[in-house]
Amino acid sequence: MPKKYHIHVKPTSLELDLISKFRLERGDECINCGRCIKVCVYEAHKRREDDPRKMADPISALCKNCFRCIQECPRGAMTKSIMPAFKTLGDEYWTSEMILSIWKQAEVGKVPVSGAGYRGKFTGPGFDSMWTDMSEIVRPTRDGIHGREYISTHVDLGRKLDRLIFSEDGELLSEIPDTVDLPIPMIFDAYEYKVADIVKIAMAGAAEAIDTLAVFPASEITAEIEKYVKHFIPLLSYNEIEKHADLLDKVKVLELYYTGELLADFETIRKNIKQITNALVAVRIPASAGVENTVLALTQKGAEIVHIITDHHGNEQGEQARFVKEVLEDVHATLIKEAVRDALTIIASGGIAMAEHVPKSIISGADVVSLDIPLILALGYELHGVKEELLIPPDEIDRIPQEKGIQRIVNLLGAWHSQMLEVMGAMGIREVRRLRGETGRAIYFETLEKETFATLFGNNT
Amino acid sequence: MRPETVTIKPMPSRFRHMLPKYKVIRSDACISCGTCARLCPYGVHDRPDGYNKTKPPVSYKCIGFECEKNDFFCINKCPVKALELIPNPMYEALGDHRWTSDMITATWIMAETGAVPDRTDLEYHIGNSDGGFDKLRFKFPENPPLVNPEEISTAIKLNRRNDGRADVEISLPVYCGGMSFGSCSLTTLVSRARNAQAWNTFTCTGEGGYPEALQPYDNHVITQVATGLFGVREETIKRVRMVEFKYAQGAKPGLGGHLLGEKHTEAISKMREAVKGTSLFSPFPFHSVYSIEDHKKHVDWIKEMNPTALVSVKVSTPNDVDMVAVGSYYANAHVVHIDGGYGGTGAAPDIAKKNIAMPIEYAIPKVHNFLKEEGARDAVTLIASGGIRNAHDVAKAICLGADGVVIATAELVALECVRCGNCESGRGCARGIASTDPELAVLYDEEYATQRLTNLFNAWHDELVSILQKFGMKSITELVGRTDLLYHIDYNK
Repeated sequence: MPKKYHIHVKPTSLELDLISKFRLERGDECINCGRCIKVCVYEAHKRREDDPRKMADPISALCKNCFRCIQECPRGAMTKSIMPAFKTLGDEYWTSEMILSIWKQAEVGKVPVSGAGYRGKFTGPGFDSMWTDMSEIVRPTRDGIHGREYISTHVDLGRKLDRLIFSEDGELLSEIPDTVDLPIPMIFDAYEYKVADIVKIAMAGAAEAIDTLAVFPASEITAEIEKYVKHFIPLLSYNEIEKHADLLDKVKVLELYYTGELLADFETIRKNIKQITNALVAVRIPASAGVENTVLALTQKGAEIVHIITDHHGNEQGEQARFVKEVLEDVHATLIKEAVRDALTIIASGGIAMAEHVPKSIISGADVVSLDIPLILALGYELHGVKEELLIPPDEIDRIPQEKGIQRIVNLLGAWHSQMLEVMGAMGIREVRRLRGETGRAIYFETLEKETFATLFGNNT
Repeated sequence: MRPETVTIKPMPSRFRHMLPKYKVIRSDACISCGTCARLCPYGVHDRPDGYNKTKPPVSYKCIGFECEKNDFFCINKCPVKALELIPNPMYEALGDHRWTSDMITATWIMAETGAVPDRTDLEYHIGNSDGGFDKLRFKFPENPPLVNPEEISTAIKLNRRNDGRADVEISLPVYCGGMSFGSCSLTTLVSRARNAQAWNTFTCTGEGGYPEALQPYDNHVITQVATGLFGVREETIKRVRMVEFKYAQGAKPGLGGHLLGEKHTEAISKMREAVKGTSLFSPFPFHSVYSIEDHKKHVDWIKEMNPTALVSVKVSTPNDVDMVAVGSYYANAHVVHIDGGYGGTGAAPDIAKKNIAMPIEYAIPKVHNFLKEEGARDAVTLIASGGIRNAHDVAKAICLGADGVVIATAELVALECVRCGNCESGRGCARGIASTDPELAVLYDEEYATQRLTNLFNAWHDELVSILQKFGMKSITELVGRTDLLYHIDYNK
């Protein structure tokens, strides 16, 4: 059995005042009796250090909403509300709860576990309109905890052959294309967002630590980042290839901006690159109507990887934009129809906000997803629904030590990796490669609604 | 029909302050004339004889702004305008989309009084999850046949196989789901069993063994056999009238049970034969079951060990839940218990609670219809769980095709759970319900807890009777599969 893949997480606090959900306030009625100290199991209440006769201000960040101090204060002096900053954190896609959960995962590196059942909406748009399936009784399953070492999350970037050809005396005639093995189906790419240097360094460092890749524009690669040359993907225009020849020779994968000319001359450009480097070539293509046809054309001309970009809400460009899930479904189906699906590796970007979005994207047709905003949030950024200033760094951003920044991203990925194992274990899927396009392992709201409620209640007035 | 063993009496909150929807504020302008105390029929104001001051208002008894129309509305009647009524700003910190603050409040009122809340300002029959039960409504006929509420039966039979095993009937179409010793305090478990006895129904041990304190209630306890087999003994299987195989749990389908180390105390480790303080994860799945034939062997094993017991099979709701249900029928199970994805848990990964397997609302009609097509529906009892929050959910689940339901979260809410969701961490539940911590587990006694549960069940019973009366039905069994009595607000605008 190959060496077990493991992400080494380690509790790492940024020691910042990150936004929390609840606000506790002590009113003037307080008689400093200390009852709240006794009843609070989370230690949100303490006496003042300078004057132990008096109560200190409650530490709202520790409040877990049990209401005991509120209900047991003899004077009814405690009140609670939702932090105003919590209410304005995030937007309709990146909810405040998600952001808090990302901060926590980046701190502790563990799967978020809680008591009590699900508390959210029945269903929703985008990824919330599907559930992953599970295996019960009659299908071989894998235990997400006890059998996790048997679940593989490895994927290959690059072209795969649909068959092998042998000569009559058994000699392999097919030329096996180069591939790059990634132990997790996730790469990093914050190119679309303006971020501090520490975020870029943390991304590169974390990419090395967990053995994946991070995309950076070739022109912005500093000496600091170049240390991680085996773990980044330089992004450049096809006519800058000569200029960056030295760098390209060292990397495993490079990425080209998509243009019409690139498509037209793809075969020649690909050949020229081969003269300079053995690196695999990805094409970065913003999703818009008809992107599936462009992807197909690229594939037929020999492209091995495309990186499909949607915006921070997972939407493609243009009117009546599709969500990344639908874009992937359409691209996947188009390639299958033309029998070229395995010739191409699809990387999906945009709208990946929670661990569950990774397997859901893969079920929809991606081979690999690319993470952006969660990595930035891991460094303590806040997200607000304002387009111009979507991500706001903490004041102390430049003082975060590199190792801490790296560890925070490693922690987040550790938590997400474990969550993938849980979901795959439940589905009875042993290899993430087999999950790609495996819509049979998902349950769709539209289908269920049509089969049950629409049938039962549709004509029922 | 309410069993004679049921006694209803008020059992107020164990806390000094409630978390009311409104706040009544008395300012310093008050002259303690006592007008408000004389007027308010709900007991918000009190000015005891011999005192020269009126007591602080008891806001949680206030019915809120709808009182404005009454001629005893204290705010208007106060001669010095010293009273103010506002929505309680703390109310927003209570509840969520599935269990709204109104639903929690109403459950508390039912647990306190034993009656359906006499309030129109509490929307407690539906949550705001925007789907499933929350979008279904009853279609009550305009002139239903007259039925005497005394004659209405809410009882269901659990053995529909005529196989010579125990003929078990429960008085409500509701029994109580598995919560282990470890996830909950012993007081909580015993109180649940006492209530199950009073209401002639069942509670379930969960996967944590059978504490001795439950033995007086053997006839109303279900022994659960789950994948970790924690605390399962031949004697605990022989002792009961029903045994439940837990293949999976709705909140974490495809994953085993979790008991995190901090909650794993001395007493728990004895019961579970494990090392104190270690996190316990049950495996998934039963590694002895990879086919329906294996499954049948499991059921046969129990039947062999206890020749009178009924066997229930608890499964979650994957796409092929209908096949699993039919498989359980062929394995000769008496009860097929399907647990939907949005069900409760003492600890589960958030990713699993939200994303794995389908909500119960879709699974019920799927399984009901498939069992019917297979000609098996009349031989099994179909029980649904996973997000049944109130009596209306019970009736809706039955209309969709279940015979009855299993609940658990609602019981905890009756014991004043606020659904903060921290049952799993540290010492467990800060409010003492789901904790085995020596200090926290003794925050209330069995009298309090049993009575609160009995009261809640009584209110649900009354609501079910009232629903049946509005349909002109005499038995809850008439409601099974009657989707024609429901409408969905998306399709009937």
